Amino acid sequence: MSIPVAVDRPFRSDLLTLDPPRLRGSRCPRCATTVFPPRAFCPACRSGAEPEHVALGVEGRVCSFTVVRQAPAGIEVPYVLAQIDLPADGVRLMATVVGVAPEDVVLDMPVTLETCPFGSDEDGAVLVGYRFRATGAEVTA
Amino acid sequence: MTLAPAHVAGVGMIRFGRYPADVTLEDMAVRAARAAVDDAGTDLSVIDGLYVGHVFGGPVAGQRVAAQLGLDGRPVSNHENYCASGASAVREAWVALAAGLHDVALVIGVEKMTDRVSGGVRPDPGDLDAAVGYVMAAGHAMSARRYMADHGATREQIAAVAVKNHAHSVHNPWAQYQKPIDLPTVLNARPIAEPLGLLDCSPISDGAAAVLLVSPAGLRRLGIDGPTPRVLGVGLVSGSVQTGLGDPNAEDVSRRAGEQAWELSGVDPADLDLVEMHDCFTIAEIVRMEGLGLVPRGQGAAWTAAGETALGGRLPVNPSGGLLSRGHPVGATGAAQVCELTWQLRGSAGGRQVEGAQVGLAYCKGGTVNGTDGGSVTTVVMTR
Repeated sequence: MSIPVAVDRPFRSDLLTLDPPRLRGSRCPRCATTVFPPRAFCPACRSGAEPEHVALGVEGRVCSFTVVRQAPAGIEVPYVLAQIDLPADGVRLMATVVGVAPEDVVLDMPVTLETCPFGSDEDGAVLVGYRFRATGAEVTA
Repeated sequence: MTLAPAHVAGVGMIRFGRYPADVTLEDMAVRAARAAVDDAGTDLSVIDGLYVGHVFGGPVAGQRVAAQLGLDGRPVSNHENYCASGASAVREAWVALAAGLHDVALVIGVEKMTDRVSGGVRPDPGDLDAAVGYVMAAGHAMSARRYMADHGATREQIAAVAVKNHAHSVHNPWAQYQKPIDLPTVLNARPIAEPLGLLDCSPISDGAAAVLLVSPAGLRRLGIDGPTPRVLGVGLVSGSVQTGLGDPNAEDVSRRAGEQAWELSGVDPADLDLVEMHDCFTIAEIVRMEGLGLVPRGQGAAWTAAGETALGGRLPVNPSGGLLSRGHPVGATGAAQVCELTWQLRGSAGGRQVEGAQVGLAYCKGGTVNGTDGGSVTTVVMTR
């Protein structure tokens, strides 16, 4: 009998696949509007047609951002939090941005999706989440 | 559909601020309730139902308060719409009076925050935004940065909201802060979520406010013949799921809340004499006034810096000092706004009086939900 080994898994499997690392959205078959997180209805046309799951593009740009300097206990500061636009899908979502000094972040800066640890579960498995990295920046931990 | 207005027979609040641990939520609510009843010249026995707004008060806080007031046994309900909780309680009381269910309803907004919230308020841990590190200040900071880029507004113009509201608060004995502050003080305050600093953020506060609402039958029962400003209508909408890459400061949720308020009340927004606006953060006052259509799109920051929204300006906003100065015990704020409108419409607001005030709006926006343009928005329209 083998000892079970905790395997990394998405913090929410409805939002994220790991191989390849992609965010999961939903697209309306009627009006083609794509949304993230995926929803069981289309918030644009509300036609009642069941949306399809789609993998979202990984290239984004910063719509707006802030450097968070104070947060409740348990959240390490500072960090860059941004509204990220995914132009290929017409989707906007919120995520942290890394790979750039906070004072160097600018509006419309290009960023790329990457996965990152979002804590761990009770079995010790790493829960994998997502963030964005400034495109062109050197890859660092 | 038009519902009958409710009359404000009395209002009362305690000064917002930081209270010691032994001053309980129940203590604060009782003091505000007694003040409102005294203001109406009546007593607690006349109350048919109790409507209590709070967020962090825990289960059946309203019933805990009722048991201290001697209102045990009466209908009591608790209303949680985050920062719009107090106003949501006002709405439910208004509906109950219009329906003929009650003649006299007491609304209490109450919150004891300083012993249970620190570092800022957040969405529910189960909301996706919380998982990626969202705090309320961050959302408004992103709003401010985009607003400045899209409309050519300056950091100084946004900070002017805090300067204006603190200048108003000097005349408000109920405000947590009653001192003027200057622009450099706002600009140089400790950064919280850039570009916003500490003085762009409303404080974490304790407090309670109460409103005694009555129907025409209730007025007769209480034998009140003094001035009783009326609540003409209370709009309530929730944020809608956003799609596409449009203006993140569109505030369509505010537009919808405003249109509902004008329809329910029959008031033309051009006739408003003052607004009590939910300025939980400086930038929020600007974009919400624009969303309501009360200030032209993109001009709110410039309007503020030019004094158009100050006492004596084109449309005074937050003569009370707003949340930035009065303090923001989240569940109490909506009820405190109705207290302020009542004083303004009675002409008894002292040094912060909007001259000749006939019609006022109180706006609250509570909470965030991932992917939407807000949690809840309330719009209370009152007239003299």
